[in-house]
Amino acid sequence: MDFKQALTHGFWRDLPPFRLVLGLCPSLAVTAAAENGLGMGLAVTFVLIFSNMFISLLRRVIPDKVRIASYIVVIATLVVLVELSMKAFFFPLSQQLGIYIPLIVVNCIILGRAEAFASRNPVLISMADGLSVGLGFTVSLTLVGSLREILGSGTWFGMGLFGPGFEPFGFMVKAPGAFLCLGVLLGLMNAWSRRRGEIFVQT
Amino acid sequence: MRDIGRLVLVLVVICSLSAASLSYVRTSLATRIEQQGDYYVRGPALARLFQQPASQLLANKVKITRDGTEYPVFFRKDGDQVTGLAVEAAGQGGYGGPIVMMIGIDLATDTVLGVEIVSHSETPGLGAQVEKAGFRQQWVGLPLGSSVALAGSGGSVDAITGATFSSSAMVDGTNQVLDLMNKNRAAILAEIAGR
Repeated sequence: MDFKQALTHGFWRDLPPFRLVLGLCPSLAVTAAAENGLGMGLAVTFVLIFSNMFISLLRRVIPDKVRIASYIVVIATLVVLVELSMKAFFFPLSQQLGIYIPLIVVNCIILGRAEAFASRNPVLISMADGLSVGLGFTVSLTLVGSLREILGSGTWFGMGLFGPGFEPFGFMVKAPGAFLCLGVLLGLMNAWSRRRGEIFVQT
Repeated sequence: MRDIGRLVLVLVVICSLSAASLSYVRTSLATRIEQQGDYYVRGPALARLFQQPASQLLANKVKITRDGTEYPVFFRKDGDQVTGLAVEAAGQGGYGGPIVMMIGIDLATDTVLGVEIVSHSETPGLGAQVEKAGFRQQWVGLPLGSSVALAGSGGSVDAITGATFSSSAMVDGTNQVLDLMNKNRAAILAEIAGR
């Protein structure tokens, strides 16, 4: 993978969570509102860029046998950093996201990029990979969050859209609505890819 | 097994660096995090209960521990006299977890000034209605020295339709505070005076 590919593959070819089908837990759980999706996506992006950086820097130092343990320590450290700074500077958002911020530690996207990419590539391209996959995740979560918020609460980023006469489709902001929304989007993306004759990564 | 020393060394170094950086960040952000919690959540609640700017009230804080539960208690002073308390309690049994509420108490008339919700994770549109003024209005003027119950169990509090769990959690938190006040009033005032 060259530098340009590393910088762009996260937006369509390996778009999380749709294409990688990883990181589904936060995608389903925090996307009841667009703002939460955006916040979660940016938190993951930060962790991803720097975990890729450190793991790439340390790739010749870390012995193979303890690599997963080392990656988890690096990732967990970054996640707690994000959690603390979010509490200190974006308190309302951290209240909204709650337990899902600490759970970024076990987000498979991050460990997946560490294992599959950062552990065998130089620093800069690893960071580009983290940026691209992270921003792809952010876009996806914001999209799912927007759809659910607009349909389920009649607002977008907290702004009222339809006036008081609108009866919200409350199902969409509850858990089943997340599955429905994610499934429909995934289906549409797959149909589009098939039309264009793209080859699927997953079979 | 020859390289076990190296494995241990690498892990120890990584973990130590991680621990060091985290404890540094944590100590440097701790006061700010505490302030944010007070500023965004408790301050507005206090200001509404006592109708006084939050900045005058947030510093008046003591922590009372009874039966293994810690209750943050804010107080209002007129001159030297403590005239009002706001006790924070977590009402158990909510649909999405405990409902943290703050109950204002007027010490001159021994009645409840009102209740404010600090945090909850109830269902939007159903249990989340515990935040609505119409529901919370039922708390204003409740006498100290008794306990409350839902209308369905012979009490005076009308539950929210479709949100019995949330309503029960509100009653539970309220009774914790009333019980704390009835049994420990002198101790709480002594703790405030000794501060």
